[in-house]
Amino acid sequence: MNRYQLAIQVDDKQVVLERILQVTRYRGFLIDGINAKVNTGTHIGYIELFVRSDRPIELLVDQINKLIDIKDVKVTHNTA
Amino acid sequence: MASEKQHTGSSLLFDILQQHGVQHVFGYPGGAIMPIYDALYDSDVEHFLCRHEQGAAFAAVGYARASGKIGVCFATSGPGATNLITGLADALADSIPIVAITGQVPTSAMGSDAFQEIDIFGLSLACTKHSFQVTDINDLPKVLHKAFAIALEGRQGPVLVDIPKDIQLAAVENSLEDFSQLKNKVKLPPANVGSALALLNQAKQPVLYVGGGVGMANAVDELRAFAKLAGMPSVSTLKGLGAINPEDENYLGMLGMHGTKAANLAVQQSDLLVVVGARFDDRVTGKLDEFAPHAKIIHFDIDTAEINKRRKADAAILGDLKVNLPALAIPLSINDWQLHCQQMKADFAWDYDHPGDTIFAPAVLKEVSDKMPENTCITTDVGQHQMWAAQHMSFNDPSNFLTSGGMGTMGFGLPAAIGAQISRPNDCVITVTGDGSFMMNVQELSTIKRFQIPVKIVLIDNGKLGMVRQWQDLFFEGRLSETDLSDNPDFVMLAGAFNIKAKEITTKDQVSAAIEEMIDHDGPYLLQVKIDAQDNVWPLVPPNTANDQMMEKT
Ligand SMILES: Cc1ncc(C[n+]2csc(CCOP(=O)(O)OP(=O)(O)O)c2C)c(N)n1
Repeated sequence: MNRYQLAIQVDDKQVVLERILQVTRYRGFLIDGINAKVNTGTHIGYIELFVRSDRPIELLVDQINKLIDIKDVKVTHNTA
Repeated sequence: MASEKQHTGSSLLFDILQQHGVQHVFGYPGGAIMPIYDALYDSDVEHFLCRHEQGAAFAAVGYARASGKIGVCFATSGPGATNLITGLADALADSIPIVAITGQVPTSAMGSDAFQEIDIFGLSLACTKHSFQVTDINDLPKVLHKAFAIALEGRQGPVLVDIPKDIQLAAVENSLEDFSQLKNKVKLPPANVGSALALLNQAKQPVLYVGGGVGMANAVDELRAFAKLAGMPSVSTLKGLGAINPEDENYLGMLGMHGTKAANLAVQQSDLLVVVGARFDDRVTGKLDEFAPHAKIIHFDIDTAEINKRRKADAAILGDLKVNLPALAIPLSINDWQLHCQQMKADFAWDYDHPGDTIFAPAVLKEVSDKMPENTCITTDVGQHQMWAAQHMSFNDPSNFLTSGGMGTMGFGLPAAIGAQISRPNDCVITVTGDGSFMMNVQELSTIKRFQIPVKIVLIDNGKLGMVRQWQDLFFEGRLSETDLSDNPDFVMLAGAFNIKAKEITTKDQVSAAIEEMIDHDGPYLLQVKIDAQDNVWPLVPPNTANDQMMEKT
């Protein structure tokens, strides 16, 4: 399995984390770790997500990008 | 001194619905949504009481699909909300814009396992495009405007708004704000027009593979102009039916598991597939590795996530089909290929021979299609009758064929027909159903009765869960497990209980007159068509098999 690290910027909204986790699981990516924090001044959340899968990471990036409250998704590390 | 009634979250909801042009909603009341139903009492919005929340959700879906407008449904908290879920899932799979409003227990009770409390917001994550829970009355207008915008923008879909009871009751200033359209958030990469044009010019055997996105993008005219100028042989998905003019000589019909032989062979032989608003669904591709093995791919879509999801695109054309199709419309010199495809179409044309007196469903559906008034809207349920409708009926627009494609939900047909008829009161609406599917939302006959909705019901009755029975016969050694329905109720009597005129036919010689009687009848009508329980849908590409390895009628 390939390992990936994603950096995700979100609007600080209820359930945005749940949405990301749900999509990640449903699209076939296992979660190895997660860091999340919010800048209470700007109301922007920063999430680091460590995942594993046989599937290409673009599949997950495209699906996370489709979520409404997502501002940006970047792959910061990729062992594929 | 009589004071004006205080404006509340509930009355504001109706003002905003009207701002968005909503005239009709479908729903079912209950405790946690009573303030909204109380405000409905004073509203000009017309409410149709369905007899199950799933019926209300499908009516909203049918309404949206038949009219291009947004569909709206209401349900109470707990069981009312969970009953909507199948409808939301169906709308998500087929990208249908609906807004579902659910009542919720008061914010103070939320999270306490209160009576009829369920976390519908949490449940909605996997079955909506987006969802909201309003916990501050000041957010309500913005959330509702956003819900409408999100349902319609980009790839359309269902949005749920969960509104706790105290928010419904909260006092508000009645100052309706202007709402501005949301812009598509995802920036689409530039269309790969140059490479697509090169691929088109090199192609000797191109095929146009048309999906439901064409109708959703309102791009039927642009698609037809593209097909005509290119002269390209074309095939359609289930949800794309009606986009290509069925009279087009280069149109080969539906592709996929129950597609025509000509459509599937042409795709397998093609050297270029021009995919428009379609997503390589497994029911379309059969064994994916062997789907269109020689073809390069030009993929038009609005959803970035569909590009390269199941098949790599050689050129991706993301964005509005209305803009992008004309940009790539060019004449091609593919005369030999056209003639080859037209020859296959003629060689493998449908055969309506069916010995004996028993009724042949494909012939009945073809006759309904030939006799129905122009612009008739057909809805279907799921199973053999659905595939026969797709194969043997012709539609001049995707909004005239409403079928549960992505989800394949039995019980879709009747409530979707109700919604379609309410959105298009002057058009004929016919639902083609099976004896299994019909019973899944049969309670909606009550909705038909109450509002005298003139929906026609063609019930293809094989006394079986036919599609499953077919698979048991073909792939499970004829072990017919739980697919017998020979003890069905008396459907004519059942219709009678709802004041719906009905007739049963059992032999071929009764077919023509019965179809005419049904179409000429002013109100709702149920035509029960008895067919042989052994009839199968052909051709059939077995699961995980290449599309040129279809099984055919023996
Ligand atoms: C809600 C739901 N449950 C189960 C199925 C599985 N299923 C697909 S087709 C079918 C049989 C449908 O029978 P009927 O409506 O009588 O149509 P026929 O195939 O006989 O034309 C079943 C059970 C489904 N598609 N939807």
